Amino acid sequence: MEKLKEKLVDQFKKITLNDLAVAIVLFIACATLICIMFMQFKTVEETDIADLESMRETELRTALSEWKTKYDTVASELADTEKKINEYNDKIGNDDDAEKLINKELQQSNLILGKTDVFGEGIVVTLRDNDIKKISANDLIELVNELRYAGAEAISINDIRIIQTTSIVDIDDKYINIDGRRIASPYIVKTIGNQTYLSSVLNMKNSGFIDRYTSDNYSVEYEMRKRVEILKYNGEIVANHLMEGEE
Amino acid sequence: MIFIAIVLGCIIGALIGINAPIIPYTYSGYLAIAIIAALDSVFGGIASTLKKNFDLRIFVSGFFGNAILSILLTYLGQRLNVDIYLAAIVVFVGRMFNNLAMIRRYYLDKFGKYREKQKAKIEEKDRKRSIKKSIRQYVRIVTKILQKYYKFY
Repeated sequence: MEKLKEKLVDQFKKITLNDLAVAIVLFIACATLICIMFMQFKTVEETDIADLESMRETELRTALSEWKTKYDTVASELADTEKKINEYNDKIGNDDDAEKLINKELQQSNLILGKTDVFGEGIVVTLRDNDIKKISANDLIELVNELRYAGAEAISINDIRIIQTTSIVDIDDKYINIDGRRIASPYIVKTIGNQTYLSSVLNMKNSGFIDRYTSDNYSVEYEMRKRVEILKYNGEIVANHLMEGEE
Repeated sequence: MIFIAIVLGCIIGALIGINAPIIPYTYSGYLAIAIIAALDSVFGGIASTLKKNFDLRIFVSGFFGNAILSILLTYLGQRLNVDIYLAAIVVFVGRMFNNLAMIRRYYLDKFGKYREKQKAKIEEKDRKRSIKKSIRQYVRIVTKILQKYYKFY
Protein backbone atom coordinates (compact mmCIF):
# COMPACT_ATOMS: atom_id res chain seq x y z
CA MET A 1 0.00 0.00 0.00
CA GLU A 2 2.72 2.38 0.94
CA LYS A 3 4.45 1.66 -2.31
CA LEU A 4 1.25 2.54 -4.20
CA LYS A 5 0.98 5.77 -2.26
CA GLU A 6 4.51 6.67 -3.05
CA LYS A 7 3.89 5.93 -6.69
CA LEU A 8 0.82 8.19 -6.76
CA VAL A 9 2.68 11.00 -5.03
CA ASP A 10 5.48 10.62 -7.52
CA GLN A 11 3.04 10.84 -10.39
CA PHE A 12 1.42 13.90 -8.82
CA LYS A 13 4.79 15.55 -8.58
CA LYS A 14 5.46 14.73 -12.20
CA ILE A 15 2.34 16.67 -13.39
CA THR A 16 3.38 19.85 -15.11
CA LEU A 17 1.39 23.03 -15.78
CA ASN A 18 1.01 22.03 -19.40
CA ASP A 19 -0.59 18.74 -18.45
CA LEU A 20 -3.04 20.52 -16.16
CA ALA A 21 -4.05 22.91 -18.94
CA VAL A 22 -4.59 19.99 -21.30
CA ALA A 23 -6.71 18.21 -18.71
CA ILE A 24 -8.87 21.27 -18.06
CA VAL A 25 -9.38 21.96 -21.75
CA LEU A 26 -10.29 18.34 -22.42
CA PHE A 27 -12.68 18.42 -19.46
CA ILE A 28 -14.45 21.50 -20.80
CA ALA A 29 -14.59 20.09 -24.31
CA CYS A 30 -16.01 16.76 -23.16
CA ALA A 31 -18.53 18.42 -20.89
CA THR A 32 -19.85 20.72 -23.64
CA LEU A 33 -19.95 17.97 -26.23
CA ILE A 34 -21.79 15.48 -24.04
CA CYS A 35 -24.11 18.17 -22.71
CA ILE A 36 -25.10 19.29 -26.20
CA MET A 37 -25.48 15.69 -27.31
CA PHE A 38 -27.85 14.90 -24.46
CA MET A 39 -29.84 18.05 -25.13
CA GLN A 40 -30.16 17.02 -28.75
CA PHE A 41 -31.25 13.50 -27.80
CA LYS A 42 -33.89 14.95 -25.54
CA THR A 43 -35.25 17.36 -28.12
CA VAL A 44 -35.36 14.68 -30.79
CA GLU A 45 -37.17 12.32 -28.41
CA GLU A 46 -39.62 14.94 -27.20
CA THR A 47 -40.47 16.30 -30.61
CA ASP A 48 -40.92 12.85 -32.12
CA ILE A 49 -44.60 13.05 -31.15
CA ALA A 50 -46.69 13.64 -34.22
CA ASP A 51 -46.87 17.39 -34.03
CA LEU A 52 -46.52 20.30 -36.38
CA GLU A 53 -43.11 21.16 -34.97
CA SER A 54 -41.83 17.64 -35.27
CA MET A 55 -42.73 17.39 -38.95
CA ARG A 56 -39.90 17.49 -41.42
CA GLU A 57 -39.62 20.50 -43.62
CA THR A 58 -40.60 18.56 -46.74
CA GLU A 59 -43.72 17.21 -45.02
CA LEU A 60 -44.65 20.71 -43.97
CA ARG A 61 -44.13 21.89 -47.53
CA THR A 62 -46.42 19.22 -48.96
CA ALA A 63 -49.03 19.97 -46.32
CA LEU A 64 -48.78 23.66 -47.10
CA SER A 65 -49.19 23.10 -50.83
CA GLU A 66 -52.21 20.87 -50.16
CA TRP A 67 -53.79 23.56 -48.05
CA LYS A 68 -53.02 26.12 -50.71
CA THR A 69 -54.80 24.09 -53.40
CA LYS A 70 -57.75 23.55 -51.04
CA TYR A 71 -57.85 27.24 -50.30
CA ASP A 72 -57.79 28.06 -54.02
CA THR A 73 -60.70 25.71 -54.77
CA VAL A 74 -62.71 27.08 -51.87
CA ALA A 75 -61.96 30.64 -52.92
CA SER A 76 -63.13 29.93 -56.47
CA GLU A 77 -66.31 28.34 -55.10
CA LEU A 78 -66.87 31.37 -52.94
CA ALA A 79 -66.45 33.66 -55.94
CA ASP A 80 -68.99 31.56 -57.88
CA THR A 81 -71.55 31.70 -55.10
CA GLU A 82 -71.04 35.41 -54.71
CA LYS A 83 -71.63 35.84 -58.41
CA LYS A 84 -74.85 33.83 -58.12
CA ILE A 85 -76.00 35.91 -55.17
CA ASN A 86 -75.37 39.08 -57.13
CA GLU A 87 -77.37 37.70 -60.04
CA TYR A 88 -80.25 36.83 -57.75
CA ASN A 89 -80.11 40.27 -56.20
CA ASP A 90 -80.27 41.84 -59.65
CA LYS A 91 -83.23 39.64 -60.54
CA ILE A 92 -85.02 40.60 -57.36
CA GLY A 93 -84.32 44.26 -58.05
CA ASN A 94 -85.73 43.87 -61.55
CA ASP A 95 -88.69 41.86 -60.44
CA ASP A 96 -91.00 44.70 -59.38
CA ASP A 97 -94.04 42.49 -59.57
CA ALA A 98 -92.77 40.19 -56.84
CA GLU A 99 -91.97 43.12 -54.61
CA LYS A 100 -95.36 44.63 -55.19
CA LEU A 101 -97.00 41.32 -54.46
CA ILE A 102 -95.10 40.99 -51.20
CA ASN A 103 -95.96 44.53 -50.20
CA LYS A 104 -99.60 43.92 -51.00
CA GLU A 105 -99.57 40.78 -48.91
CA LEU A 106 -97.98 42.65 -46.05
CA GLN A 107 -100.57 45.40 -46.29
CA GLN A 108 -103.37 42.89 -46.32
CA SER A 109 -102.06 41.03 -43.32
CA ASN A 110 -101.65 44.34 -41.48
CA LEU A 111 -105.21 45.20 -42.43
CA ILE A 112 -106.47 41.92 -41.04
CA LEU A 113 -104.33 42.14 -37.94
CA GLY A 114 -105.72 45.57 -37.18
CA LYS A 115 -102.56 47.57 -37.49
CA THR A 116 -104.07 50.15 -39.82
CA ASP A 117 -107.06 52.48 -39.80
CA VAL A 118 -109.80 51.07 -41.95
CA PHE A 119 -113.13 52.12 -43.33
CA GLY A 120 -115.91 50.52 -45.29
CA GLU A 121 -119.60 49.76 -45.30
CA GLY A 122 -120.97 48.31 -42.13
CA ILE A 123 -123.25 48.75 -39.12
CA VAL A 124 -123.07 50.50 -35.79
CA VAL A 125 -124.77 48.99 -32.74
CA THR A 126 -125.17 51.14 -29.66
CA LEU A 127 -125.88 49.54 -26.28
CA ARG A 128 -126.90 51.63 -23.30
CA ASP A 129 -127.44 50.95 -19.63
CA ASN A 130 -131.04 51.67 -18.60
CA ASP A 131 -132.88 51.50 -15.32
CA ILE A 132 -133.89 47.89 -15.70
CA LYS A 133 -130.85 46.25 -17.31
CA LYS A 134 -127.17 47.01 -17.38
CA ILE A 135 -124.78 45.90 -20.10
CA SER A 136 -122.14 43.41 -18.95
CA ALA A 137 -118.97 42.15 -20.59
CA ASN A 138 -120.68 38.91 -21.54
CA ASP A 139 -123.25 40.81 -23.55
CA LEU A 140 -120.49 42.54 -25.48
CA ILE A 141 -118.70 39.22 -26.03
CA GLU A 142 -121.88 37.70 -27.33
CA LEU A 143 -122.39 40.61 -29.68
CA VAL A 144 -118.83 40.44 -30.98
CA ASN A 145 -119.12 36.70 -31.42
CA GLU A 146 -122.33 37.07 -33.36
CA LEU A 147 -120.88 39.84 -35.51
CA ARG A 148 -117.90 37.64 -36.35
CA TYR A 149 -120.28 34.83 -37.18
CA ALA A 150 -122.03 37.24 -39.53
CA GLY A 151 -118.79 37.95 -41.35
CA ALA A 152 -117.50 41.08 -39.63
CA GLU A 153 -114.09 42.08 -40.93
CA ALA A 154 -113.24 44.71 -38.31
CA ILE A 155 -114.91 45.51 -35.00
CA SER A 156 -114.33 48.27 -32.48
CA ILE A 157 -116.05 49.11 -29.20
CA ASN A 158 -115.87 52.79 -28.22
CA ASP A 159 -113.03 53.13 -30.75
CA ILE A 160 -111.04 50.29 -29.21
CA ARG A 161 -110.15 47.88 -31.96
CA ILE A 162 -111.11 44.30 -31.25
CA ILE A 163 -108.37 41.95 -32.45
CA GLN A 164 -107.49 38.31 -31.97
CA THR A 165 -106.04 38.76 -28.50
CA THR A 166 -108.54 41.29 -27.16
CA SER A 167 -110.07 40.54 -23.77
CA ILE A 168 -113.40 41.90 -22.53
CA VAL A 169 -113.83 41.71 -18.77
CA ASP A 170 -116.20 43.17 -16.18
CA ILE A 171 -114.62 45.45 -13.58
CA ASP A 172 -117.75 46.32 -11.58
CA ASP A 173 -121.36 47.24 -12.32
CA LYS A 174 -120.43 50.46 -14.08
CA TYR A 175 -117.33 49.71 -16.08
CA ILE A 176 -116.04 47.17 -18.56
CA ASN A 177 -112.36 46.61 -19.25
CA ILE A 178 -111.27 46.09 -22.84
CA ASP A 179 -107.54 45.44 -23.34
CA GLY A 180 -106.70 47.34 -20.14
CA ARG A 181 -108.89 50.36 -20.97
CA ARG A 182 -111.94 51.23 -18.97
CA ILE A 183 -115.15 52.07 -20.80
CA ALA A 184 -118.67 52.81 -19.70
CA SER A 185 -122.12 53.13 -21.24
CA PRO A 186 -122.96 53.94 -24.01
CA TYR A 187 -121.14 51.18 -25.85
CA ILE A 188 -120.82 51.96 -29.55
CA VAL A 189 -119.92 48.82 -31.46
CA LYS A 190 -118.72 49.62 -34.98
CA THR A 191 -118.46 46.83 -37.48
CA ILE A 192 -117.24 46.67 -41.08
CA GLY A 193 -118.57 43.91 -43.22
CA ASN A 194 -121.31 42.95 -45.64
CA GLN A 195 -124.27 45.08 -44.42
CA THR A 196 -126.98 42.69 -45.50
CA TYR A 197 -125.34 39.67 -43.84
CA LEU A 198 -124.63 41.58 -40.67
CA SER A 199 -128.11 43.04 -40.33
CA SER A 200 -129.91 39.85 -41.24
CA VAL A 201 -127.93 37.79 -38.67
CA LEU A 202 -128.45 40.38 -35.94
CA ASN A 203 -132.14 40.86 -36.72
CA MET A 204 -133.15 37.22 -36.92
CA LYS A 205 -136.41 36.65 -35.15
CA ASN A 206 -136.03 34.92 -31.72
CA SER A 207 -132.39 34.01 -32.16
CA GLY A 208 -130.89 37.30 -33.44
CA PHE A 209 -129.01 39.50 -30.97
CA ILE A 210 -131.18 42.59 -31.36
CA ASP A 211 -134.44 40.72 -31.20
CA ARG A 212 -133.48 38.81 -28.07
CA TYR A 213 -132.01 41.79 -26.24
CA THR A 214 -134.80 44.27 -27.04
CA SER A 215 -137.30 41.71 -25.87
CA ASP A 216 -135.24 41.40 -22.64
CA ASN A 217 -135.62 45.16 -22.07
CA TYR A 218 -132.05 46.12 -23.04
CA SER A 219 -131.73 49.39 -24.91
CA VAL A 220 -130.12 48.48 -28.23
CA GLU A 221 -129.84 50.85 -31.18
CA TYR A 222 -128.93 49.69 -34.59
CA GLU A 223 -127.79 51.75 -37.61
CA MET A 224 -126.53 50.88 -41.09
CA ARG A 225 -123.86 53.11 -42.56
CA LYS A 226 -122.24 53.40 -45.95
CA ARG A 227 -118.98 54.44 -44.39
CA VAL A 228 -117.86 53.15 -41.01
CA GLU A 229 -114.40 54.23 -39.81
CA ILE A 230 -112.47 52.00 -37.43
CA LEU A 231 -109.20 53.09 -35.86
CA LYS A 232 -106.13 50.90 -35.75
CA TYR A 233 -105.12 48.84 -32.72
CA ASN A 234 -102.80 51.06 -30.72
CA GLY A 235 -101.39 48.51 -28.32
CA GLU A 236 -98.54 46.16 -29.06
CA ILE A 237 -99.09 42.66 -30.31
CA VAL A 238 -96.65 40.59 -28.29
CA ALA A 239 -95.51 37.06 -29.03
CA ASN A 240 -92.93 36.25 -26.38
CA HIS A 241 -93.70 32.57 -26.05
CA LEU A 242 -94.62 31.73 -29.58
CA MET A 243 -92.21 29.74 -31.71
CA GLU A 244 -92.59 29.02 -35.38
CA GLY A 245 -93.21 25.31 -35.85
CA GLU A 246 -90.70 23.40 -37.93
CA GLU A 247 -92.07 21.61 -40.93
CA MET B 1 -4.85 12.60 -15.15
CA ILE B 2 -6.13 13.29 -18.63
CA PHE B 3 -8.26 10.15 -18.56
CA ILE B 4 -9.84 11.24 -15.27
CA ALA B 5 -10.56 14.69 -16.70
CA ILE B 6 -12.28 13.17 -19.74
CA VAL B 7 -14.46 10.82 -17.67
CA LEU B 8 -15.41 13.57 -15.24
CA GLY B 9 -16.23 15.90 -18.13
CA CYS B 10 -18.47 13.26 -19.71
CA ILE B 11 -20.38 12.64 -16.47
CA ILE B 12 -20.91 16.32 -15.66
CA GLY B 13 -21.87 17.09 -19.26
CA ALA B 14 -24.44 14.28 -19.23
CA LEU B 15 -25.92 15.55 -15.96
CA ILE B 16 -26.23 19.09 -17.30
CA GLY B 17 -27.60 17.87 -20.63
CA ILE B 18 -30.30 15.72 -19.02
CA ASN B 19 -31.48 18.62 -16.88
CA ALA B 20 -31.21 21.24 -19.63
CA PRO B 21 -34.38 22.62 -21.30
CA ILE B 22 -35.50 21.45 -24.72
CA ILE B 23 -34.24 23.41 -27.69
CA PRO B 24 -36.73 24.53 -30.35
CA TYR B 25 -36.84 22.10 -33.24
CA THR B 26 -35.68 24.70 -35.76
CA TYR B 27 -32.36 25.10 -33.93
CA SER B 28 -31.81 21.40 -33.32
CA GLY B 29 -30.55 20.98 -36.90
CA TYR B 30 -27.72 23.45 -36.25
CA LEU B 31 -26.88 21.69 -32.99
CA ALA B 32 -26.69 18.33 -34.73
CA ILE B 33 -24.15 19.72 -37.20
CA ALA B 34 -22.14 21.21 -34.32
CA ILE B 35 -22.13 17.83 -32.57
CA ILE B 36 -20.86 16.09 -35.69
CA ALA B 37 -18.09 18.68 -36.09
CA ALA B 38 -17.05 18.32 -32.44
CA LEU B 39 -17.02 14.53 -32.67
CA ASP B 40 -14.83 14.80 -35.77
CA SER B 41 -12.39 16.97 -33.80
CA VAL B 42 -12.35 14.45 -30.95
CA PHE B 43 -11.50 11.56 -33.23
CA GLY B 44 -8.90 13.71 -34.96
CA GLY B 45 -7.39 14.47 -31.56
CA ILE B 46 -7.23 10.78 -30.63
CA ALA B 47 -5.64 9.92 -33.96
CA SER B 48 -3.06 12.66 -33.55
CA THR B 49 -2.18 11.50 -30.01
CA LEU B 50 -1.57 8.06 -31.41
CA LYS B 51 0.64 9.62 -34.09
CA LYS B 52 2.32 11.60 -31.31
CA ASN B 53 1.83 14.96 -32.95
CA PHE B 54 -1.11 16.12 -30.77
CA ASP B 55 -1.27 19.88 -30.33
CA LEU B 56 -3.67 21.31 -27.80
CA ARG B 57 -4.10 24.59 -29.68
CA ILE B 58 -5.02 22.81 -32.88
CA PHE B 59 -7.46 20.56 -31.01
CA VAL B 60 -9.25 23.39 -29.20
CA SER B 61 -9.46 25.63 -32.25
CA GLY B 62 -10.74 22.68 -34.33
CA PHE B 63 -13.24 21.64 -31.68
CA PHE B 64 -14.94 25.01 -31.25
CA GLY B 65 -14.06 26.58 -34.61
CA ASN B 66 -15.40 23.70 -36.69
CA ALA B 67 -18.62 23.58 -34.67
CA ILE B 68 -19.26 27.31 -35.06
CA LEU B 69 -18.23 27.32 -38.70
CA SER B 70 -20.53 24.42 -39.51
CA ILE B 71 -23.43 26.19 -37.79
CA LEU B 72 -22.75 29.35 -39.78
CA LEU B 73 -22.51 27.39 -43.00
CA THR B 74 -25.80 25.64 -42.28
CA TYR B 75 -27.45 29.00 -41.61
CA LEU B 76 -26.02 30.39 -44.84
CA GLY B 77 -27.28 27.33 -46.69
CA GLN B 78 -30.77 27.90 -45.33
CA ARG B 79 -30.66 31.52 -46.41
CA LEU B 80 -29.46 30.50 -49.89
CA ASN B 81 -31.91 27.56 -50.05
CA VAL B 82 -29.00 25.12 -50.53
CA ASP B 83 -28.51 22.19 -48.17
CA ILE B 84 -24.91 23.00 -47.27
CA TYR B 85 -25.22 20.97 -44.07
CA LEU B 86 -25.21 17.84 -46.23
CA ALA B 87 -21.73 18.76 -47.50
CA ALA B 88 -20.59 19.45 -43.93
CA ILE B 89 -21.91 16.07 -42.77
CA VAL B 90 -20.23 14.26 -45.68
CA VAL B 91 -16.87 15.90 -44.94
CA PHE B 92 -16.98 15.43 -41.17
CA VAL B 93 -18.24 11.87 -41.24
CA GLY B 94 -15.74 10.95 -43.94
CA ARG B 95 -12.91 12.34 -41.84
CA MET B 96 -14.28 10.56 -38.79
CA PHE B 97 -14.14 7.26 -40.66
CA ASN B 98 -10.58 8.00 -41.79
CA ASN B 99 -9.48 8.73 -38.24
CA LEU B 100 -11.27 5.66 -36.90
CA ALA B 101 -9.56 3.54 -39.55
CA MET B 102 -6.20 4.96 -38.49
CA ILE B 103 -6.90 4.27 -34.84
CA ARG B 104 -7.99 0.74 -35.68
CA ARG B 105 -4.90 0.08 -37.73
CA TYR B 106 -2.68 1.42 -34.99
CA TYR B 107 -4.16 -0.87 -32.37
CA LEU B 108 -4.21 -3.84 -34.74
CA ASP B 109 -0.51 -3.26 -35.40
CA LYS B 110 0.16 -3.04 -31.69
CA PHE B 111 -1.75 -6.24 -31.04
CA GLY B 112 0.03 -8.02 -33.89
CA LYS B 113 3.42 -6.94 -32.57
CA TYR B 114 2.51 -8.15 -29.10
CA ARG B 115 1.46 -11.53 -30.46
CA GLU B 116 4.68 -11.80 -32.44
CA LYS B 117 6.75 -10.99 -29.37
CA GLN B 118 4.92 -13.63 -27.37
CA LYS B 119 5.46 -16.14 -30.11
CA ALA B 120 9.15 -15.28 -30.28
CA LYS B 121 9.44 -15.70 -26.53
CA ILE B 122 7.83 -19.12 -26.65
CA GLU B 123 10.05 -20.19 -29.50
CA GLU B 124 13.14 -19.09 -27.64
CA LYS B 125 12.01 -20.99 -24.56
CA ASP B 126 11.46 -24.10 -26.66
CA ARG B 127 14.87 -23.78 -28.26
CA LYS B 128 16.56 -23.39 -24.89
CA ARG B 129 14.67 -26.39 -23.60
CA SER B 130 15.69 -28.51 -26.57
CA ILE B 131 19.30 -27.47 -26.18
CA LYS B 132 19.22 -28.41 -22.52
CA LYS B 133 17.65 -31.73 -23.43
CA SER B 134 20.31 -32.51 -25.99
CA ILE B 135 23.08 -31.54 -23.56
CA ARG B 136 21.56 -33.81 -20.95
CA GLN B 137 21.38 -36.68 -23.41
CA TYR B 138 24.96 -36.05 -24.41
CA VAL B 139 26.07 -36.11 -20.76
CA ARG B 140 24.16 -39.30 -20.14
CA ILE B 141 25.79 -41.03 -23.09
CA VAL B 142 29.19 -39.84 -22.01
CA THR B 143 28.71 -41.12 -18.47
CA LYS B 144 27.51 -44.49 -19.75
CA ILE B 145 30.59 -44.78 -21.94
CA LEU B 146 32.77 -43.77 -19.05
CA GLN B 147 31.06 -46.37 -16.76
CA LYS B 148 31.70 -49.08 -19.34
CA TYR B 149 35.30 -47.99 -19.60
CA TYR B 150 35.80 -48.22 -15.81
CA LYS B 151 34.13 -51.62 -15.65
CA PHE B 152 36.46 -52.86 -18.27
CA TYR B 153 39.41 -52.06 -16.13
